[in-house]
Amino acid sequence: MTDLALATHGLAKRYGARAALDGLDLAVPTGVVYGFLGPNGAGKTTTMRLLTGLIHQDAGTIELLGRPFGRGDRRRLFDVGALIESPAFYPFLSARENLRVLAATGAPTRRTRVEELLDLVGLRERAGDKVSGYSLGMKQRLGIAATLLSDPKLLLLDEPANGLDPAGIVAMRDTLRHLAATGKTIFVSSHILGEVRQLADMVGIIAAGRLVREGRLADLLESEGVIRLRGAPDEVAAAVAALGAIVAPAQVGVVVEAGRITLQLSAERASEVNRLLASAGIFASGLEAGSDLETLFLQLTGSTAADGTFNPAGVGRVA
Amino acid sequence: MRIFSATLRKLVRRPATWVTLGLMVGLLALILLVLAVTTREGPAGIRRPMELLLFTFPTAYLFILEFILSLGGLLSVLYAASVAGSEWGWGTLKAAVARGESRWRYTLATFAAVAVVLGAGIAVAYTLGVGLDLLAGRIAGVDSGNLGDATVLGKLPEQMVRTWLVIVEQAAIGFAIATVARSQLAGIGVGIGLYFGEQFATIFLPDQVRYLPFHAANAAVDLGAAAGGAATRGAGTGALTPEEALLVVAAWLIGALLLSCLFTDRSEIPG
Repeated sequence: MTDLALATHGLAKRYGARAALDGLDLAVPTGVVYGFLGPNGAGKTTTMRLLTGLIHQDAGTIELLGRPFGRGDRRRLFDVGALIESPAFYPFLSARENLRVLAATGAPTRRTRVEELLDLVGLRERAGDKVSGYSLGMKQRLGIAATLLSDPKLLLLDEPANGLDPAGIVAMRDTLRHLAATGKTIFVSSHILGEVRQLADMVGIIAAGRLVREGRLADLLESEGVIRLRGAPDEVAAAVAALGAIVAPAQVGVVVEAGRITLQLSAERASEVNRLLASAGIFASGLEAGSDLETLFLQLTGSTAADGTFNPAGVGRVA
Repeated sequence: MRIFSATLRKLVRRPATWVTLGLMVGLLALILLVLAVTTREGPAGIRRPMELLLFTFPTAYLFILEFILSLGGLLSVLYAASVAGSEWGWGTLKAAVARGESRWRYTLATFAAVAVVLGAGIAVAYTLGVGLDLLAGRIAGVDSGNLGDATVLGKLPEQMVRTWLVIVEQAAIGFAIATVARSQLAGIGVGIGLYFGEQFATIFLPDQVRYLPFHAANAAVDLGAAAGGAATRGAGTGALTPEEALLVVAAWLIGALLLSCLFTDRSEIPG
């Protein structure tokens, strides 16, 4: 059995009449980068707060680093670094002073650690400046440094790429990848699916406070019965007509201007699709089997680009 | 101890610390200088008793303490409310708790640092106050009197400690209000309301008001008749003796700290 760095069982939390979490089951193996995805209001930040003891669940259990975590188990957090929502600092102190003040709380921290971390996140040259003068991206980098103060085994990061410029995002990705390579477990919630796609080994997708899918990212995408085609826009209609022989119209998605066709068919049938198009005299410029993360996310959460509404499509887990 | 010393360093850097001290010393300086100028420009040879008491030592020692006690009470409410409220507003309490810090220890260490800063503030304000009083007396053309009066100076350390204690008690009230309100602004607003509300309560609750935190604080420091106004602060019908008042002050201090700790411990901390 795989060691779990983090697990929740039937985690539930209500705010008045609204259920923020409704029986959340997560299983995060040790040493992975885990992307925690969900639409706005799905319960991601509530989960983060529960995992750090800021709030307490109404039902369910949490295990951190293989042991139960509840009220009174605050020392378990000595091995956890967390960045929840926006980074929190004293605006009148410098970055260095803020890290020193924070290092005085929780787990004991080596004296040299602050300078190491300022180097790691590229803030050494501005470390003496007051945080009130920092950009959002700089505060975010300082927030990531703060999570690493006690050299934690598990990192919980809520939207860590918020406010970072492209270079900052790449640097953060490299840093997190490096940390994962040293055996740390990284649990990242994010809205930036492209970022999660590049960073995560595993993903968990939640909607309306429940897990709707969890598993290795590659497995999840391959398991989805989607074939995507790209071709000349003026041939899209003919291609759809030809494909009608093997796929129902309801299973076909088309963006004519872009020359894109998406078929709800299992990945194994990609060669059959290719042959059928060729026999109709149509040659695709691109053919991919398996879903992309965005399609999977929208499909599972029922989200729409317009209003972020969702309609959970059942719970499942891919081994 | 780590949190206490870190908080102490943090408070020294905090602008509110210096603004509060500046307000205290600035207002004292303003009042003394205005009185000095009006005294100097008044009819020669005629000195009002208040001015003489203010500029003549050893009574001036007690007047300065009286001033610090009165204005310092309100300022300490605001200062402590600002410190406690900002821990919630800026999310720094959240960051500490998420690192596994004890909520009780964090709250108590933060307040202990506030109490030490207030003590230092009182000492600095008092020292500057004595200097300013001497200067103002010279401007007013009033003889400074007996600066080395053994009786008053002998009692001064105890009175200073009592002043510090009652100011810390009033700070604890502001600290608790801001903790329960989870906000600097709400803490400061409610703190001011409570401070002045208690003064008005004298009209409606003449018998009970002596047990309220700010009245008890005033009664706990016995500055004697020499301090004029100070002598009447805690006096009046049914006023507590300084010793009784000190017990009431201690009860309010412990109660306010307990409330702060319990509330922080039981609360859900927002993002």
